[in-house]
Amino acid sequence: MVSAGQMVNRLTPVLRRLKFLPLVGFVALAGCASNAPQDTWAPEGPNAQMIDDLQKPIFAVAGIVGLIVFGAIAFAMYKFRDRGQPIPEQTHGKPVLEITLTIIPALILTVIGVFTVRTVFDLAKTSDTEMVINVTGQQWWWEYDYPVQEELGITKPIITSGQLVFPVGTKVMLRQTSRDVIHSYWIPKLNGKRDAVPGRVHLNRLEADQPGIYAGQCTEFCGLSHANMRMEAVALSKEDFAKWVDQQLADYQAPAEGTLAKEGETVFLNQCVRCHQVNGLKRADGTPAIAAPDENVVSGAAPNLSKLMTRNTFAGAMFDLVTPECRADVWDASRETFGEKYLAGVSEECLNQTDLRSWLRNAPEMKPMYANPALLTSTGGKYRGMPYLALSENDIEKLVAYLLTLK
Amino acid sequence: MAIIERPSTTAPAVLPTVPSAAFGALKRPVTVSSGWRSWLFTVDHKKLGIMYGAVAMFFFIVGGLEAVLIRLQLAAPDGKVLNADLYNQMFTMHATTMVFLFVMPMASAFANYFLPLQIGARDVAFPRINAFGFWAFLFGGIFINMSWFLGGAADGGWFMYAPNSGPIYSPSHGVDFWALGLQITGIASLTGAVNLIVTVLNMRAPGMSLMRMPIFTWMITVVQFLLLFAMPVITVALFLLMFQRNFDATFFDVAAGADPLLWQHLFWIFGHPEVYILILPSFGIISEVLPVFSRKPLFGYPFVVFSGAAIGFVGWGVWAHHMFASGLGPVSVAVFSVATMAIAVPTGVKVVNWTMTIWGGKLSFPVAMKFALGLVILFTIGGLSGVTHSVAPSDTQQTDTYYIVAHFHYVLFGGAIFGLFSGFYYWWPKVFGKMLSERLGNWNFWLMVIGMNMTFAPMHILGLQGQPRRMYVWTEARAGEGFFNLGFWNLVASIGSLILAVGVLFFLINIFVTARKGKQAPADPWDARSLEWMTSNPPKEHNFDSIPTVGHLDEFFHRKYSESESGQLTQVKSGEEVILDLEKNADAHIHMPSPSYWPIVLALSLPVIAFGLIYSIPVAMVGGAIALLGCYGWALEPSTATDDEIDPPSSGQGKEMVHVG
Repeated sequence: MVSAGQMVNRLTPVLRRLKFLPLVGFVALAGCASNAPQDTWAPEGPNAQMIDDLQKPIFAVAGIVGLIVFGAIAFAMYKFRDRGQPIPEQTHGKPVLEITLTIIPALILTVIGVFTVRTVFDLAKTSDTEMVINVTGQQWWWEYDYPVQEELGITKPIITSGQLVFPVGTKVMLRQTSRDVIHSYWIPKLNGKRDAVPGRVHLNRLEADQPGIYAGQCTEFCGLSHANMRMEAVALSKEDFAKWVDQQLADYQAPAEGTLAKEGETVFLNQCVRCHQVNGLKRADGTPAIAAPDENVVSGAAPNLSKLMTRNTFAGAMFDLVTPECRADVWDASRETFGEKYLAGVSEECLNQTDLRSWLRNAPEMKPMYANPALLTSTGGKYRGMPYLALSENDIEKLVAYLLTLK
Repeated sequence: MAIIERPSTTAPAVLPTVPSAAFGALKRPVTVSSGWRSWLFTVDHKKLGIMYGAVAMFFFIVGGLEAVLIRLQLAAPDGKVLNADLYNQMFTMHATTMVFLFVMPMASAFANYFLPLQIGARDVAFPRINAFGFWAFLFGGIFINMSWFLGGAADGGWFMYAPNSGPIYSPSHGVDFWALGLQITGIASLTGAVNLIVTVLNMRAPGMSLMRMPIFTWMITVVQFLLLFAMPVITVALFLLMFQRNFDATFFDVAAGADPLLWQHLFWIFGHPEVYILILPSFGIISEVLPVFSRKPLFGYPFVVFSGAAIGFVGWGVWAHHMFASGLGPVSVAVFSVATMAIAVPTGVKVVNWTMTIWGGKLSFPVAMKFALGLVILFTIGGLSGVTHSVAPSDTQQTDTYYIVAHFHYVLFGGAIFGLFSGFYYWWPKVFGKMLSERLGNWNFWLMVIGMNMTFAPMHILGLQGQPRRMYVWTEARAGEGFFNLGFWNLVASIGSLILAVGVLFFLINIFVTARKGKQAPADPWDARSLEWMTSNPPKEHNFDSIPTVGHLDEFFHRKYSESESGQLTQVKSGEEVILDLEKNADAHIHMPSPSYWPIVLALSLPVIAFGLIYSIPVAMVGGAIALLGCYGWALEPSTATDDEIDPPSSGQGKEMVHVG
């Protein structure tokens, strides 16, 4: 009888040698494309491409070095196992061998180092920027603010959130900062990540080769809903981007008198406008309605909801503003039709009524924003994210009708 | 201060004067050989080592359960096991527990127990400070974990980046408990470092030059220097954080003009040397184990020593590689990127030397050896993935994703923890006089290998597929399809974590079974090479009956074997015979330090002060008073217990034992 222990002992050298197989498989297979939208090995813009060109050979070198080391160890374990041979000579080392085996990795790393340093400086280039977008992180959403850039048709500032819209083939400079804690902006298929730090402005380059929606995720731990702080970067053809700019700059269209949407506007003016700005919205007396989120939320800002229905997401891109079918229609559209479908915005049929209504009903239940409401005293009673507003179902009905007009 | 005198064979040692007014609490406790008081007031480095080990093992289980909860939460999309708040506390405390309350103190356990034995000393240089260090660590660990029951644990991640760690963004007391608790364990580490450095420099056996020191002792020495310089940095950072949270300071308040990156620099200037503080003790352990089971000396001993020291130095110049995405600017990024590659060279040297140590040997594979080889292979995987993110542009894709989680678990679980387990199996007979079961040990090893690879290998895929860390849920919408979909690999990792937990459970069963009916260990079970085996199992309280004079690296081996001109080895003595030789020449006067009440009293004052800083300043003042009392008691304590208080009384025992404090 062979005990399990002896069995294991006998199998040791064999199993040892098999152990690196997963690594080989992993290196080989990870090279194949796959479908995760945040795949870091599937660049779709020149910045990510530069990183990819640098990292793939390094992964290969690391894999080969690994195989050599594991091969040597496995061979030694098999060859020099105790077969009753005499105790070996008590050699203390071979300096020539040692030095050789120190110099070889040092040389490999020197080569890697040269290419790395070159790429670091290439990626940091800012002199050829063609467009600037200010990106501000806060718990737990991103604000995109487009300063006036006449040559791109942006004649007035645009402030939006949820989706970063930009033209393809354009070297976009993101000027990133934060209003509260540190966040990190990351669209894996377009570039590596860059932190958004309060009190600092960090530059980050973005450029896409093709129109499409590129997924991203905040990658610096930023509190309770860190996991829900997502982003989507939408690349449009230059013509489509011009149309998008026109859409955003179009004047506010107040809902017609007597409609449900008009009643919704009143609800919005009573409740939502305390934090949410809608450009062009006026109070009943004709004065402009100015939001004052700094009085109500810790981070001092809430998403600007002008043209809300031109976006596909809400609540920090945590929820889709459109139903899954309509979403798939846009996301999976061909390169040619994508822009047109995206610019069509959210129709009443496509609106994700379920999530939007639940959100209006009780936002903190949909997205964790403060662990313990009793501790709100630490923020002087200010909320972190959207609070529970105790809206009636009737008000929600009206609000949804109103929000649908924000195009 | 306790100095253990070298035994003199010519003249009896001169006793320090006992203060005449030694009464009451200022009397030193008598030496008792068993019972709870023999542990509570002990200053014996071996007893303290065992207590360090037991407490660290407890925290390993706590941290492991936290890890299992994390993996259960992430096994499927939109997990419901934990809510966001609890999840954040869980991953913060998992890392904190594993780093500060398991790996560091477990390394202290090994260092405490074996370092004096390996250099032929009878105790450490400052036995009472050693005891104080243990109690401070224990109370600090308990203090941090008390937060679970007092409104929630820290929730900012073990890196505790400002400003998310501030009172506005983390309003519970968790971060306060965390910051103050780590101050307390930091004091423990710092005193331990000073103690062991002095011990190594002053108390080596005659003839043991630095380059004849066992490699484990060398690596521990490097670690103590790292601790000595790294702990003050985190101490400063934690003080700033404490003042920010408890006394309205504005060190990290952006509105007041602060730059939150200050915290990151402070944290990682500590944090990166900390990585080597965690891994080097295990490098030391397997550098002892591999030669023993290869029947060959460590290949290139001076290279291993100097590469360890080189890692210790270069380790100070790479901290910003944790911050490649934080906006340092291209010049800093390039410099730290290249420095990080440079540190791969001495690390690679170690792997080469381990491989060359087994090359040409006569290999046997008991569990201790299996864990040691496991370290070499798993650490190499982690080291190679480390090279991929020393490349800064590549790192901006990988940092804060599961790829990094995979990397440092290969380095710290596959590296540090496998090394510690190798040490458990190798030195268990030394410490407890019984052999751990090899049968259960094999189950332990293989389940840990399978579980570890199943848990952490898929995380490479998860990370490269873009799954960020520290997310309490992941969503199906970002999971993708096909072979690399996040759902499948998250599930594999979660199942792996359960297998890993069962593997660790087998170790606990092994301890239990061994204690009940384990095989008695022979004097020299592994045909070992270094001084700690040149005494009984377990060692006597005074370690060695006579202090050996050292003529070689691997002194014990050279006393057992003689080498002919042609390199042929013949055994001239068995291990038992070598030990008997030492016993026959036992020193007449052996001076051992007496137990003391004061280390535990002084250590107890620390959590009281910390508690007071959080809840009520008067309580902190009470703690301060206890600390003051402890210091006075310590200083005024008689240097020794009187002879008639010693149990058993020293008279008539053949050997005179004098206790010097």
